Amino acid sequence: MAPEGAEKTEAGQIPAVVAEPPKPLILLVLRLLAFLATAAATVVMALNKESKTLVVATIGSTPVTATLTAEFQHTPAFVFFVVANAVASFHNLLVLVLDFCGQKLDYKGLRLLMIPILDMMVIALLSGGATAAAFMSELGKNGNSHARWNKICDKFNTFCDHGGGALIASFIGLGLLLVIAVMSIITLQKLKITTCQAVP
Amino acid sequence: MSMAKTKNLCILLLRLLAFGVTLSAAIAMATTHEKVNIFMIEFEAKYSDSPAMKYFVIANALASVYGLLVPFVPSESVLGQLVLVMDLVFTMLLTSSTSAALAIAYVGKRGNSQAGWLPICSQVPKYCKHASGALAAGFIGTIIYMAIVLCSIHMALNPLLVQKA
Repeated sequence: MAPEGAEKTEAGQIPAVVAEPPKPLILLVLRLLAFLATAAATVVMALNKESKTLVVATIGSTPVTATLTAEFQHTPAFVFFVVANAVASFHNLLVLVLDFCGQKLDYKGLRLLMIPILDMMVIALLSGGATAAAFMSELGKNGNSHARWNKICDKFNTFCDHGGGALIASFIGLGLLLVIAVMSIITLQKLKITTCQAVP
Repeated sequence: MSMAKTKNLCILLLRLLAFGVTLSAAIAMATTHEKVNIFMIEFEAKYSDSPAMKYFVIANALASVYGLLVPFVPSESVLGQLVLVMDLVFTMLLTSSTSAALAIAYVGKRGNSQAGWLPICSQVPKYCKHASGALAAGFIGTIIYMAIVLCSIHMALNPLLVQKA
């Protein structure tokens, strides 16, 4: 089976162009799912907001109320989470588009090299964002008695639920991205072994 | 051929450096302990008070053990092909642990006024400085692991790239 993208070379010379294997359908499907997961995580966390009106004091017979809001911007970890997921979904979209456009947009086979490298960087970024948000929400859910930080999830239930949902979506996207990266690395290593053996 | 050998040597040196840095990060975070008496209230800060710091110590310890064992794996066996994948997994583990510990340390240093969380660094300054040192070492370890993965990917894909005709 002739690989796609192989160009003709002069007779008797070692082929000078990487023979790119046909992209298996499962990689595309996984990447689409990862894109959807990270995009969902971004959107859900970015729209995460809850306001609560509490009665703070009572003067005479009129209660004094204060409105407390819980937004994702209050916590730097959640801001990083939104940014990391946005970058990851943008990367997934870009790679999907590149895969569909085919081999027309290529510069000296650099595409074959850049996609695993970019995948790795996005995995690192996304894992940082997701874990930081996970530990911050654990702090919000359980508090920290040693540092005298009270839990906030009992008052802001919807905020915590939505944040948890966004976290789950982000971790699913991270797992899918890891699987994609591992599959492409293994495919490329197998390709390297067969290419090295084919060249006498 | 010598280019491949120098690259291999470079990666080996980076791995040894990463082993040292992650080990020092884990040890530095695990030895943070401070007891302070303010107005007869005893305030004790340890790394085990916070699950993020515990995760940081565990992740860095695992990464240092991995960095110690990997140079002894033969390069062309079945295990050798897994090394790149495991490098990626450990990079992910290290970035997540550094990021989580940094998030909690930020709350410890600046507090979170909307949640009513007061910063604790003013009460236990030595603990804060010690933890910041450990975090810096963890950050450097993360960067070194990313460099290892980049070099490994480049080395693995180099024979496949188009050579200048």
